[in-house]
Amino acid sequence: MYAQGQDGLMSTYRSAWRTRSPRTYALSALIIGLYCALYFTDVFEPIAQALHLRNKWFLYGTVYSILMIGGGLYFLKAHGNSRYHKIRIAVNVAIQVVLGLSLPYAMAFFGHPDYYFSYFWPLKYDYLMPGTLNYLPWYLALYSVVGAFIIVPFGALFFGKRWYCSWVCGCGALANTFGDPWRHMTSTSTESWRFEKVSIYAVLVFILVATAMMFGDWFGGNQIGWFHETAEWTKYIYGFLVGSILSGVIGTGVYPILGPRIWCRNFCPMAAILGITQKAGRFRIAVKPDMCISCGNCSTYCEMGIDVRAYAQQNETFTRSSCVGCGMCAHVCPRGVLKLENAWDENTDKANAGQLTIEF
Amino acid sequence: MQIVIIGNGVAGMNAALTVRERHADWSITLISEESDHFFSRTALMWIFSGQLSHRDTEPLERDVYERLNFRRVRGRAVGMDTAAKRVQMGGELEDVSYDRLLIACGSRPRPAPFWQGYGDLTGVGHFVTHQDLAWYEREVHGGPSLAGGPPNADAHLSSSTADSPYQPRPAAAEARGHKAREVAVIGGGLIGIEAVEVAHAAGLKPHFLIREEWFWPMALSKQESTWIAARMAEHGVQMHLETEVEGFDSVDGLVSGVRTSKGTVAADAVVVAIGVVPNTAWLADSDLELDKGGAIVVDAGLRTSVPDVYAAGDCASVKWFNGIQRPEQLWYTGRDQGKRVGRALCGDEVTYKRGTFYNSAKLFDIEWTQAGLVGFDLEDEDELYFEESGTVRSTVRIVSQRGQVKGFNLLGRRWNHAVLVRWINERRSPAYVLAHLAEATFDTEFVPALSVPADVRAQA
Ligand SMILES: Cc1cc2nc3c(=O)[nH]c(=O)nc-3n(C[C@H](O)[C@H](O)[C@H](O)COP(=O)(O)OP(=O)(O)OC[C@H]3O[C@@H](n4cnc5c(N)ncnc54)[C@H](O)[C@@H]3O)c2cc1C
Ligand code: SF4
Ligand code: SF4
Repeated sequence: MYAQGQDGLMSTYRSAWRTRSPRTYALSALIIGLYCALYFTDVFEPIAQALHLRNKWFLYGTVYSILMIGGGLYFLKAHGNSRYHKIRIAVNVAIQVVLGLSLPYAMAFFGHPDYYFSYFWPLKYDYLMPGTLNYLPWYLALYSVVGAFIIVPFGALFFGKRWYCSWVCGCGALANTFGDPWRHMTSTSTESWRFEKVSIYAVLVFILVATAMMFGDWFGGNQIGWFHETAEWTKYIYGFLVGSILSGVIGTGVYPILGPRIWCRNFCPMAAILGITQKAGRFRIAVKPDMCISCGNCSTYCEMGIDVRAYAQQNETFTRSSCVGCGMCAHVCPRGVLKLENAWDENTDKANAGQLTIEF
Repeated sequence: MQIVIIGNGVAGMNAALTVRERHADWSITLISEESDHFFSRTALMWIFSGQLSHRDTEPLERDVYERLNFRRVRGRAVGMDTAAKRVQMGGELEDVSYDRLLIACGSRPRPAPFWQGYGDLTGVGHFVTHQDLAWYEREVHGGPSLAGGPPNADAHLSSSTADSPYQPRPAAAEARGHKAREVAVIGGGLIGIEAVEVAHAAGLKPHFLIREEWFWPMALSKQESTWIAARMAEHGVQMHLETEVEGFDSVDGLVSGVRTSKGTVAADAVVVAIGVVPNTAWLADSDLELDKGGAIVVDAGLRTSVPDVYAAGDCASVKWFNGIQRPEQLWYTGRDQGKRVGRALCGDEVTYKRGTFYNSAKLFDIEWTQAGLVGFDLEDEDELYFEESGTVRSTVRIVSQRGQVKGFNLLGRRWNHAVLVRWINERRSPAYVLAHLAEATFDTEFVPALSVPADVRAQA
């Protein structure tokens, strides 16, 4: 019956689990500890074996899926009256459970390489490394290349970054389910925005360089000792720093104190590429002119720290490269000011606005 | 040039920003009694529930005073010496001299006749200012959310006066030793329904006391209101329609009930939300011209009757689209008046004139949009009405006069009021509007499109 808009009032800041408190700092420390144990020790191997899972990564995948499904139910309870949210979260969790957990498991079971169809270069950076392409069956190698160069950018051009970040991606799925209670923790400050602008493109350049070096290495660079060493070292540092520390340990560990999209907003190289294509594409958030009451719900619940209110107050329909199209700003707006849409045509709101305020 | 602005609300702050954009070196002083920072008054209900922090409701970063070199005087203005061009301040604060003055002192809660003569009755309050919010939070929740209250909440007290709407109010909950169990809200308007909704969100089943035959007759028809009432009843709100409040019952100075024409309603916290009036009591002795309701009369250039003194926002009485002179108590009109009067303060000739009326709100979970003339009983008025039920429940009411659409009253869906206003200004026919109606919806994605029933189309 009520297919859109936040149903009822949230009590976010009245819960110690959702504000910066000893509790949330402890939770954050616990998650960071578990990630470190997973990445840098083998303490989870015996548990995985006891559960008849092939290795600790399958154990991780199982826990991840459970958190995602549990968080998904929480999310649906909080915002599930909205059709956009209902469909989006169902699709995202289903894709992750099938393509991110079950299928690789089944493929491994049948002796295939375990391939994750929902990940592309540069998020899964080794999928475009010459070594990997060479080792994969031709159809999977082809999928990797088509995925990175056609599916990803064209998807963003037509539907915005959200097609991936909020409908497919595993990081996004965890952020929007298990991480949803903390979305208001994302900083909206000018400093956080300055940091993001530098950090996200720095990681992008890093992976471009690392990938180029791996190709150089493959096509003869490995004959040159120092080049080979530098290439291997670059790849190793990238894997350690970006692949483990930033995406896992920090990215997920700080959910309860800095919000669920720290990785997506500041470090994900895939988000950088999707963001650039989104800017050139159809996706936008339309603003209804002169109706905003400046309440701040949109900016507070934007998980990317975008000051949506600033655009709404200026009647400015906008596309921000960091926007993952989660739809929450439009959902929580009590005056229905915002609308996510894919459209090439010129926005007419400015023309309409002229009729509302008599100019002088 | 010394610019002084009384009030850092949406009108005052937008005026200050406009002046600063043009004149980096002018002195700009903002006098504010209620709060250090400009905040969105419309967002009080979310602070109450814990959905927003105080900081979240402030549209500007907190360093804006330093960054833009605004001088802040936190205290109460108690009068004016227009001959000497001085604002008199309360307490020990020095008078503030101006070359050009803007008064943007907003509204205060309408005083209730049935509350007179009760002395220090504790447990009765309003829901308009930061201080009202803090009182109501203490009654229902025992205090503010974990995000805390606003900074320097009491910095104005030494200059404040007993009749100020920004006086803190003691809570009955503290004296009684437990939080409110029964809340009553008096007055069936927008602020009233917000006060009811926040009490409901806190787990209570509030009483809603309304004098009229149905909730909010100013904006809704009986039929439309019935839906809202049913929705509130589903949530456990106890509606008391056609109920005239006569007074209060109390025990040891703490409120215990509301006496009405239909008997007594037990309550340990009561919100009086019967509207707002211009916050101009402190100007009673000045030579500014006020209208019947106490609002500062301004001309089309937002000038008051005194040279170099301007007024904008809730406290300014302006000419409406239909020629009537009275204040516009809305957020976006306050913002527009503020921007315009900012240019006037810079010395420009400006004219403020409002176009077709519109507004929107959310009544519990039902979204409401209005545009044009609804409820004006126009001569030869016609009305088209239909409801949708199913995935989306909505109502549409289109008012027309002699074949031209004059207004819309819409519940349940989201609408682009700009399109509706354009149709009104283009004098479209009901048939045209019905044929294009779906184009004006602004629903989120995947919400099924609106379809107008065939019999309604035939009717047009
Ligand atoms: C609960 C609530 C919900 C609302 N919801 C909506 C809505 O949904 N949509 C909408 O359009 N409008 C809404 N409104 C109305 C809207 O908030 C007002 O129209 C708007 O805030 C008016 O702004 P203003 O700048 O004129 O005055 P204010 O915001 O009232 O600011 C006036 C300021 O002046 C200062 N001041 C006053 N007197 C003195 C004095 N003597 N000395 C020193 N300083 C003084 C105070 O510090 C005060 O903050 C709502 C109002 C309330 C109370
Ligand atoms: S701007 Fe809106 S849709 Fe985009 S990330 Fe923020 S809340 Fe989500
Ligand atoms: S766009 Fe909506 S949610 Fe954002 S500040 Fe404006 S009214 Fe509030």
